[in-house]
Amino acid sequence: MEKEVNHIDNETFLAQWMEGDITDKELKDLVSDTDYLAYHKITSGMDTIAYLEAPIKNSFASIQSRIDAKGKSKVIKLKRYWAISIAASMLLFFGLFSMLKSSNEIIITSISEQKIIKLLDGSEVVLNARSILQYNQETWENNREVTLEGEAFFKVKKGSAFTVTSRNGTVAVLGTQFNVNSSLDFFEVICYEGKVNVNKATNNIILTQNESFRTINGNPIEQWNTMGEKPSWLDGEISFKSVPLKYVINALEKHYQIKFDSKNIDVKMIYTGSFSAHDLEIALTSVFKTMGIEYLKNNEKMYTLSHSK
Amino acid sequence: MPNKPENICDAITFKKLFETYAKGLKRYIYFKTKDVDLTEDIIQEAFVKLWDHCDDVTYLKVKSYLYTVATNIFLNHVKHEKVKKVYQSNYVKGSTNETPEFVLLEKEFLEKIEKAIKDLPPLQREVFLMSRIEKKKYKEIAEMLQISVKAVEKRMHLALKEVRLKIGNI
Repeated sequence: MEKEVNHIDNETFLAQWMEGDITDKELKDLVSDTDYLAYHKITSGMDTIAYLEAPIKNSFASIQSRIDAKGKSKVIKLKRYWAISIAASMLLFFGLFSMLKSSNEIIITSISEQKIIKLLDGSEVVLNARSILQYNQETWENNREVTLEGEAFFKVKKGSAFTVTSRNGTVAVLGTQFNVNSSLDFFEVICYEGKVNVNKATNNIILTQNESFRTINGNPIEQWNTMGEKPSWLDGEISFKSVPLKYVINALEKHYQIKFDSKNIDVKMIYTGSFSAHDLEIALTSVFKTMGIEYLKNNEKMYTLSHSK
Repeated sequence: MPNKPENICDAITFKKLFETYAKGLKRYIYFKTKDVDLTEDIIQEAFVKLWDHCDDVTYLKVKSYLYTVATNIFLNHVKHEKVKKVYQSNYVKGSTNETPEFVLLEKEFLEKIEKAIKDLPPLQREVFLMSRIEKKKYKEIAEMLQISVKAVEKRMHLALKEVRLKIGNI
């Protein structure tokens, strides 16, 4: 008996197993199942200890390179700004040139930006985010006409006809305050003061104070009354009244420059409410929580929507 | 000189801080993550953060700053993983991430191994550490210690057996 124990102790199969000279399977035949598991656990434990004890020079090198990379990117940034400023001044130069020719004024707002534009006759336009407003300075005196893509609030000084032309229709007024939203196939006009004349294809509709008008995707025209003296987006809220969710999602995407994966939800559900124009988290909660929809952040720019259970 | 507060933004001081704290931090984070790569990421991120805020962190507070930052990075990661899991569970149902070889290496277990190695006969311990920690081949060890490969293998075999005995039931 003792001889046999000695015999086993003289073996070196564990050493060979650790070096990879004999396989797990072969070891399994030589020892009991519990021993086999124990040996496995000990060697992986040793690997962990080895990792924890290993010199940390490599890590520091990576940290160094990450810090260096940051420093470098800062330098590149400055250079890039320099290039942009040249490009911008050239653009300005040519822009001035073209303006002298056509005197066509183009005002563009980017994401979550609003611009207040004083027109030549003293009328005021507040241009909402991601919108384009165009008008001709030269002919302004005889022809008060602006072209709009997106959304804007108008405070028009009394005078000759003031026309807002958009892809979805035109709005003509004398002197009033009104809001026009013409994005994609969505067209909405809200009159806050005075009278506006909305012309859409063959329809001609006159809106008076607090009357609203809307068509979505060629559907029949809807009209309703609104409260308030100015659109809520002027106060940093973007609101909707009985709008299919699709347009709300579109507005969120445009405003915050994010994307939604909405294939798992019903985008035809009707939404009434508003979302914050400043705080994405609050905006998402206020839109989707109320609709019973979960949103999951995939990355900085991408969200997936699903119905909550 | 020792009383003068050191500037962390100084590259040499920063490197010294790394040498002083990285190992401990690594151990600390590893037992939270149980994942070598993740540990490495967290440590790097924590030190990069320290560098970014080197003006705001006082020299005496470096250690607690590092541990706090690293822990927060870890917690954020866990939170993110949880969200990911919920997300995945919506699609994959009834799956389990437990594989037969799934072994959790707890801190207590590693401490047991370390203790068992410490108690090994010196000759076995020397060989065992050279092989398993320094990752040297038996042949290299044999050359360094001027013994035969067979002798190295014998010591390795006995050492592992001994450690296994010391640790007892797993």
